[in-house]
Amino acid sequence: MSVEHGHPLRFGVLLTPRDGERAGALAERARMSEELGYDLVSFRDVPGGLDPWTLLSWAAARTARVRLTTHARAHGAGADHPAVTARAAASLDLLTDGRVELVLDGADGTLSETVDVIRGVWAAAERSPLRFDGEHHRLTGAERGPAPAHNLPLWITATTGGAQALRVAGRKADGVLLVPATGDAPLAPDPGGVLLAPDPGGVPAGPGTGDGLARAAALIDEAATAAGRDPREIRRAARITGRFTPESEGFLTGPPRRWADDLLPLIRDHGLSTFILATDDPGTLRRFAVEVVPALRAARGEVAERTPASLFVRRHRREGIDYDAVPAALAGTAIEPGDAGFARVRSTYMRGGSPGLVLRPGTPEEVGQAVRFARTQPVKLSVRSGGHGISGRSTNHGGIVIDLSRLHAIEILDKAARRVRVEPGARWSDVAAALAPHGWALSSGDYGGVGVGGLATAGGIGWLVRQHGLTIDRLRAVDLVLADGTRVRADETEHAELFWGVRGAGANFGIVTSFEFEVDEVGDVGFAQLVLDVTDTAGFLERWGAAMEAAPRDLTSSVIIGRPSPGRPLIGQIMAVVNSGDARTIIDRLQPIAATAPLLDHSIQVQPYASVMHVPHRPHDGQGEPVTRAALADHLTPELAAAAGRLIGTGLTYFFQVRAVGGVASDVPPDATAYAGRSANFSLVAFGSSRRGLDAAWDELLPHFNGTYINFETDLRPERVHDAYPGPTLRRLRALKRRYDPDNVFRDNFNITPSDP
Amino acid sequence: MPDYGHDLIFGSFIIPANAAPHEVVALAQESEAAGLDLATFQDHPYQSAFLDTWTLLSYVAARTERIRLSGNVINLPLRPPAVLARAAASLDLLSGGRFELGLGAGGFWDAIEAMGGRRLTPGQAVDALGEAIDIIRGIWDAGERSRFRVDGTYYRVEGAKRGPAPAHDIGIWLGAYKPKMLRLTGAKADGWLPSLPYIQSLDEIAEANATIDAAAVEAGREPAAIRRLFNVTGRFGQGGDRFLDGPPEQWAEQLAALTLEYGFSGYILMADDAATIRTFGEQVAPGVRELVARERAARVSGAGR
Repeated sequence: MSVEHGHPLRFGVLLTPRDGERAGALAERARMSEELGYDLVSFRDVPGGLDPWTLLSWAAARTARVRLTTHARAHGAGADHPAVTARAAASLDLLTDGRVELVLDGADGTLSETVDVIRGVWAAAERSPLRFDGEHHRLTGAERGPAPAHNLPLWITATTGGAQALRVAGRKADGVLLVPATGDAPLAPDPGGVLLAPDPGGVPAGPGTGDGLARAAALIDEAATAAGRDPREIRRAARITGRFTPESEGFLTGPPRRWADDLLPLIRDHGLSTFILATDDPGTLRRFAVEVVPALRAARGEVAERTPASLFVRRHRREGIDYDAVPAALAGTAIEPGDAGFARVRSTYMRGGSPGLVLRPGTPEEVGQAVRFARTQPVKLSVRSGGHGISGRSTNHGGIVIDLSRLHAIEILDKAARRVRVEPGARWSDVAAALAPHGWALSSGDYGGVGVGGLATAGGIGWLVRQHGLTIDRLRAVDLVLADGTRVRADETEHAELFWGVRGAGANFGIVTSFEFEVDEVGDVGFAQLVLDVTDTAGFLERWGAAMEAAPRDLTSSVIIGRPSPGRPLIGQIMAVVNSGDARTIIDRLQPIAATAPLLDHSIQVQPYASVMHVPHRPHDGQGEPVTRAALADHLTPELAAAAGRLIGTGLTYFFQVRAVGGVASDVPPDATAYAGRSANFSLVAFGSSRRGLDAAWDELLPHFNGTYINFETDLRPERVHDAYPGPTLRRLRALKRRYDPDNVFRDNFNITPSDP
Repeated sequence: MPDYGHDLIFGSFIIPANAAPHEVVALAQESEAAGLDLATFQDHPYQSAFLDTWTLLSYVAARTERIRLSGNVINLPLRPPAVLARAAASLDLLSGGRFELGLGAGGFWDAIEAMGGRRLTPGQAVDALGEAIDIIRGIWDAGERSRFRVDGTYYRVEGAKRGPAPAHDIGIWLGAYKPKMLRLTGAKADGWLPSLPYIQSLDEIAEANATIDAAAVEAGREPAAIRRLFNVTGRFGQGGDRFLDGPPEQWAEQLAALTLEYGFSGYILMADDAATIRTFGEQVAPGVRELVARERAARVSGAGR
């Protein structure tokens, strides 16, 4: 009988704390195991010895590749609450980028409940709190999460006779770890320092155990099938002990060949795919790794089958996506709705989503594979860099998302030319931090949490825009994956027309995998926040607009006005950056804008540009759809200011913002890039709650505007494409689209159709 | 009294957010690089946005060399004391004596119960903490041959093997505000660790010190056996007359005064950016040390005259 479950062979060690041993020595053996090529390290829980979870976390920080597993503290007075255990395991998994596996002991009746509680905590994609009313565990509405970094395998230990634990494993676990019947009974070192299991009847302990293994496998398979699972989902492992001796003396007692001969039938006939060697003897560790493991791998050969996805994952799949056809290079990092990390990738900053598949390519080549796969699937395709897109629909419902967050490198290409290469998944906060040590900065948006890709293909109106231009104005070259999955480089000479289109309408032509910028020298800046009474809204906007147009280019500022509340003054907030570290210059620049309305409060700090942009990583958990309108305006004329004042007065917008543009951004001719709104001194955006209400009110303002900036616009009516791209620009873009994306694969964001609709 | 004469320690209080685990680790490393003595993390095991504090402490300990680490404070209701004692001793051994045990009785009982923990009244929680301290010290007492048994109201230990013994005398620091908890601090703990946002006035600090001191004396201990540490918030800027709102020199003067008048010898800054941590470690800490040393020397020579 041959059993093949499609799991790769893995080999681990079980290390045991010894009395009087230096604590660090044990962690050192873990590191050595990693160097020897072991796949797994675990620690035995010895009464009065080092705490295994602490030890595991320590060892995790001192290793880089090896997977780490330990028994949860699950019994009696020494038991952790299972919800705490779940969070601890998920935390270590996050800290180690997915290297943790958890083993639960099957000694008492709480096992099944413990599994349910742990999985319930990890199910962070569920919006409801975790309630559990069991015989042993009771939770009355615990928060869920965090989800582990990967589908963290839950193992259950069992003896071949432990029917109850084997059945629970068949129903619920990812793996069974078969252990000797006497479990953790004290192990006696033999004269050579090798640890021997005292129980010859344990598993696996010699010829004749085949029956026990077969019975155990039958119990697991039967329980799995009854639960609707594929029995191959459950990995089978065994803990082994043995001794290397010159002559063959017995089961796992002999030369390496004897070991291989003893273990191979367990792999071939009983479907075991993981072996945990319990030893602390360096010689045995080394010999097993060097002489036994390669023999077993060679004897087994390549595994052709892929491990089947678990029942849980399969149940959560969406129609229309051929999950089994996902390219192998992408399958390992892709996230489906049933996967652990789904809660972290489903939604974006402002928008709730429930995609059917999130592909996370790690190289440009993989981006190409992702595009080639996605275009064959009859579902929506979204592309995401940082996930802040307001207009960019970088998530969807039931479709595919290509998430570029793993492409986040930032490197200096040429110090003298201040040329840097940035990948699309980096965030502007990270870019600013990477450039700061060189005394450089790149004008980006005004919020550091935003990703590079979506901003650097559309425009980029940030804190240095009036002095250094739009982000796209500092762009010198891009590497791009096109709609057919091929890769091109575009700059002023090569694919020059494409390079023109990428700067303002990039999302329509491909996925940029690398941006090359020429950055600027920027030192400390003055960052000010002014709070004003803007009850005279129109007058204030007009005065602030005039002050900004008259201001030197080292000043950039923006205004935010909230929803009015009856009986209170209307509050406006100005944020401003002065590109100078000199206090006098900063005050000089700020005074005119501070005088535009009664000043209620202010704070001014001199700090590095990178500090202004600093935003810690936060998970995106947007819900619903943002409702916004956006526009560019050349001047805040009395008429526009009055109309904006009326709009704010209606309460239809809870966040109204005007950003100063102009300056260097307006020195660039309108046909130099696909961003055509060069004459604009101002960019406006309003956030509302009612699509219909905001559209109606904003449409009244249209005569005052001159184009729009696509990144803040959520109106899907076709006129908006014409606002952003006036006639000549649009004609050029359509020609480009016909050439580079004739099938309109990239249509998720401000779609330029190949032909006039 | 106050000024109990302890050497000064300075630390950081870092939010253990799980959104970007490596940034949290990096801030602890920044704390070490800035010369701080201590990096601490709050422990709210019911909070899904946080990393498990114990796991994080262990991981950070392995990624740092010199800095001491503590929970601020560890949530006793969801961390059984016998497990906690072993884990604390293990971490102290692994890190070469760099672990301190900030401990709290628990406060968010709805959340604790929701996780499967046991709901106690605040008074019961203080009693439970007292029992837990005895259990923790009993586990650490590895030289004691007898099996360890405790039959308490809140915790039972049935013949556990003791050990391991920690590498150094781990300080047990309690987050305490109410009289009963302050008395427990004086009777059994090694440190008092309140937080500035929960303190209403300087008088409250003076009264708390007096309560701790009286309880210590009653238990036959020196009041100076209990270190006073303070979690503080503030910002560096142009400044005003508010507490810890101004340039580093102003912070140093204010903290030195707190040490000399109110007995604090540890300051832990709630900060989540590297620049603030650096300013605290490189500018404030040496400033406070210098001011306090000068004044202590003056007091000694003044007393000797």
